[in-house]
Amino acid sequence: MKTQLVWRADVAFNMIFTVTKILFACLLWGMVFQNRETVGQFTFHGMLSYYIVSSFLSQLDMSEGISREIHDKIRNGTFSKYMVIPVGIEKYFMAMELGVLSFYVFFDFAAAVVWVFVFRIRFVFAAHPGTVLCAAAMAVLGLVFMVQLNYFLGLLTLKYQGMNTFLMIKNNLAALVTGSILPLALFPETVVRLLRLLPFYYVTYLPAMLFTGKCGDEAVGGLLVLGGWMLFMQFLIGAVWKKYRVKYEGVGI
Amino acid sequence: MKSTKYIRVLRELFSLRMHGLMVFRLDFFAPFLVDGSLFVIQLLAFGAVYSHVDRIGSWGKGEMILYIGTFSLLNALSMTICFFGVNSIPYKVRSGELDLYLSKPISPLFRLTFENISPGSLPLVIMSVCIIGYGAATARTALTPKTLGAYVFWVAVMGILYYEMEVLMRSVSLYIVSMARMEQLEEACINLCMKLPGIAFHGIYKVIFYCILPYGIMATLPVQSMIGEMNWRTAACGMGVVILFSGITATVWRRGLRHYNSASS
Repeated sequence: MKTQLVWRADVAFNMIFTVTKILFACLLWGMVFQNRETVGQFTFHGMLSYYIVSSFLSQLDMSEGISREIHDKIRNGTFSKYMVIPVGIEKYFMAMELGVLSFYVFFDFAAAVVWVFVFRIRFVFAAHPGTVLCAAAMAVLGLVFMVQLNYFLGLLTLKYQGMNTFLMIKNNLAALVTGSILPLALFPETVVRLLRLLPFYYVTYLPAMLFTGKCGDEAVGGLLVLGGWMLFMQFLIGAVWKKYRVKYEGVGI
Repeated sequence: MKSTKYIRVLRELFSLRMHGLMVFRLDFFAPFLVDGSLFVIQLLAFGAVYSHVDRIGSWGKGEMILYIGTFSLLNALSMTICFFGVNSIPYKVRSGELDLYLSKPISPLFRLTFENISPGSLPLVIMSVCIIGYGAATARTALTPKTLGAYVFWVAVMGILYYEMEVLMRSVSLYIVSMARMEQLEEACINLCMKLPGIAFHGIYKVIFYCILPYGIMATLPVQSMIGEMNWRTAACGMGVVILFSGITATVWRRGLRHYNSASS
């Protein structure tokens, strides 16, 4: 929290630049909805509500920096500082992410509310409290999963040395499969069925759909699938750490 | 005489760059893999949108593929020729390394532009040309020498504008200490405009993305020239914007160099 408070301009600009996603949605879907009432299961304002929520959720996920930090520290030999502190390294990064998130959540929420008014969006919100609770729980679990994933990818540097290119490609792909670019419901049914098996479906897309009152029947199942993926990821992290930490020499690669 | 000297320097810079790249062979194709995946994702996303609608504004699926291919081509040309050189300007200003460029008997911007040519991005150019070909076939565009010539001309002109914007954004580092905001602004504009063609902008957004931060016209005008949507007014406006930004970039860069105080700036 203290670190975040030093960079006030960063916070302000992060808030301002969230507008590009909403602007993209407004202009693109504004043109599309000129001649029609619905696209897929979305009305114009339902679509914009989806973008507001998904933009808010994807903005909260700042775990990308974890894999980059671990990658750089292993490469230059300063990862030792994490190995000598008397806490679990994964827990350390979880706590760091929580600190950043608890600072940004307020500002990102404020930005989302401002964009709703600026772009005159008639916000569509889920009516059932149970669905909202499920969506909130899934959003939190999704953020934890992304921390796990990025921690895991960062650790792979112990084995593969150069992960930068892969991490950048991963970010590009993640934007598509989490539904940050467009709602996954617009993809063909077969693709959506396939995506349901992956954890990314439950990180941004499904919580955003649940918050905007859609896909209520998938809520409980989604929590279970995501929970399963988190357990699997934790197992992978343990296995990779056990096997490859001995390869770290602390002198840089 | 002067041009011969610059060609010799260019050849030498290319040779040095190849030596450097060959040391890290795995990173050689990194720009292609990263940016290639980005534009393939755009194609998939718009493929999904067009499975529900026939047209977005006046553009069908073919025109949109042409747009994505053209933006990819502009980006690929920049990555191949100048991006990695121009991108290092803020670092060189902060560290004082720019001194080495100013003390050489050659234009510092010329050397910065061409010293980090990236042959590993060439497959991205080829991939972009394939996307453009696919887009032209899908849009059933009649490819005559005239339309092709107009398209190549506008890609060249917009390539210059793309380069000028890169230099302009990074020249700001000659005046201010932190460049993070400018880089964020550039990234946000490019991210928005690579997904959204200029025809989508209206009102204040059109003024911003056509005249102030002209990323909105970069791939739009070449596509419009190919599909026959361009009129003389649009062409004149496009040329006007490029000439205006050439002047602004040259002025900001030259004045910036005078403002540069070596390592202390």
